[in-house]
Amino acid sequence: MTAAAATAHHAIVSTRSTRLWNAKNSRFDKNVCLVSVGSCCPGNRKLGLLCASGSQSSVTEPVQQPSNGKGDHSPKKSKESSLILIRHGESMWNEKNLFTGCVDVPLTPKGVQEAIEAGSRIRNLPIDVIYTSSMVRAQMTAMLAMMQHRRKKVPIIMHNESEQAHSWSKIYSEDTKKLSIPVITAWQLNERMYGELQGLNKQETADQFGKEQVHEWRRSYGIPPPNGESLEMCAERAVSYFNDQVVPQLTSGKHVMVAAHANSLRSIIMHLDRLTSQEVISLELSTGIPMLYIFKEGKFVRRGSPVGPSEASVYAYTKAF
Amino acid sequence: MAASTSQHALISIKPAAPAASFSCGKRAGNARFVSATGCCPGSRKFGLVCAANSQSSVIEPVHLPSSPESGSTPKKSGESALILIRHGESLWNEKNLFTGCVDVPLTPKGVNEAIEAGKRICNIPVDVIYTSSLIRAQMTAMLAMMQHRRKKVPIIVHSESERAHQWSQVYSEETKKQSIPVVTAWQLNERMYGELQGLNKQETADRFGKDQVHEWRRSYDIPPPNGESLEMCAERAVSYFKDQIVPQLVAGKHVMIAAHGNSLRSIIMHLDKLTSQEVISLELSTGIPMLYIFKEGKFIRRGSPAGPSEAGVYAYTKKLAQYRQKLDGM
Repeated sequence: MTAAAATAHHAIVSTRSTRLWNAKNSRFDKNVCLVSVGSCCPGNRKLGLLCASGSQSSVTEPVQQPSNGKGDHSPKKSKESSLILIRHGESMWNEKNLFTGCVDVPLTPKGVQEAIEAGSRIRNLPIDVIYTSSMVRAQMTAMLAMMQHRRKKVPIIMHNESEQAHSWSKIYSEDTKKLSIPVITAWQLNERMYGELQGLNKQETADQFGKEQVHEWRRSYGIPPPNGESLEMCAERAVSYFNDQVVPQLTSGKHVMVAAHANSLRSIIMHLDRLTSQEVISLELSTGIPMLYIFKEGKFVRRGSPVGPSEASVYAYTKAF
Repeated sequence: MAASTSQHALISIKPAAPAASFSCGKRAGNARFVSATGCCPGSRKFGLVCAANSQSSVIEPVHLPSSPESGSTPKKSGESALILIRHGESLWNEKNLFTGCVDVPLTPKGVNEAIEAGKRICNIPVDVIYTSSLIRAQMTAMLAMMQHRRKKVPIIVHSESERAHQWSQVYSEETKKQSIPVVTAWQLNERMYGELQGLNKQETADRFGKDQVHEWRRSYDIPPPNGESLEMCAERAVSYFKDQIVPQLVAGKHVMIAAHGNSLRSIIMHLDKLTSQEVISLELSTGIPMLYIFKEGKFIRRGSPAGPSEAGVYAYTKKLAQYRQKLDGM
């Protein structure tokens, strides 16, 4: 495979869904705007996009979808699976500059828009199973993103909190199951728990604990705030979960999307990219711009860099896509 | 006080008057507040009569009951609002599949419906929100509350485990006061459709026979295989409503319930004392919330359940009008 190296900025074009999110009116409109492979994407709001050279199939070619979790488990011949990581967008407490952690606050309209944008970037990538945290902002992000997906499978949240929840959510049609994407919620993918800082604004925390102390909690790897988690603790449970639950899916050839939070995702990226604790502290994940990894022969190859908020991230597609 | 079936109303809220100071935030359309002395001519909801003299002035502040975390004091007037919102189109509605308790999300149209619903209630006080354990109802609640003018933050309460409870603690009293707890409950889930879940109409007709399916859909107490009858759904939904929600209303809290066709009509059956025949033919529109006023132990309907092509409007009480005026002043 001679696809572009992980840090290259080759890109495919962006395509638009058939229902555009109208930010001005905050609703979905029924426009269609399809940017084809052949034309370029001149100076658009996402900086630095280059149109693909040879690695793209045409717009009309259907994306090959392996069956979902409920179908057969034969690994793809190329034994390559994609892993998409999406960080949710602005929440109502982000907007108010409050420490959020594991308090379950929802998205703002801007956060909704970011989810939709993220979805439009991954709409051509196959997805067989989705993992998300137990917080509604990540779950909404996953659902809103999947509304743009071209394959039109239906994400369905799995319920295992009780025997009743499990039996009540059963599906009795095989055809319907085949067109479903299971969504698994897991507290292990939650945001880092911020303990006694949760709900406080920056001024309150500085007053209560002192500026340097707060800075240390935010920027250290191993020091937790009172009754909270350090980044290290967050990483421990997020990466364990990833190894136990997500990697086996990838190994069996399933394409996975993980919709979660800044700290749980950077923990996973630290693991995938073998970053040091120093490196992970300065890792900023943009919202609305998903990251793509290819899992092949037991290795993770990054296909779209984690970037800061003002840069564009683009994907290096492999031949299989 | 108007009887539950009368069409009397205090005020109708009509959309889209320019330069109004009552718009629900930047994103929503404008709402025009029709004053008591003007009439509501030929509005889309028939038979509205304008109120005579029940409006107070703009400057009087509304006493809002405090949220559960900071102690509850019943309002002097003992009146609370109950808003019922049915979620909009889900991905399986779109495909015409029996959904029941399968946790499928909204379509873009369903998202729009939630936003529209939110605009209609953006001036009605909300202290606590109840929703089902299904994402389509939860998203509906969150999207609706994005439009609310009071700008409090809905926060889902987690009590599924000790850790979940601990981890979701909020450590600022100020912040708690600006929060609206959202309680999720399986008892508010859609009616569980058993072996019909995931099937389309053709499949069900093939598998069970058309008449049998019709009977399940239209009867009150005959469940589909391994599923719930409407009666069974009503039993657990109304029990929950009485045990958990009515005490909030009694304490003066304003409540919003975001749920499903069958769990909501069960509750309405209870509130309006409908017969099983009447509830079967009750259609709840999506995107158009229903308002009840709870006062002195009674529920008074302030906006009729309407079919999809009709608009629902609200009969504001004096207290609600004051709340709205307070929002205007903010």
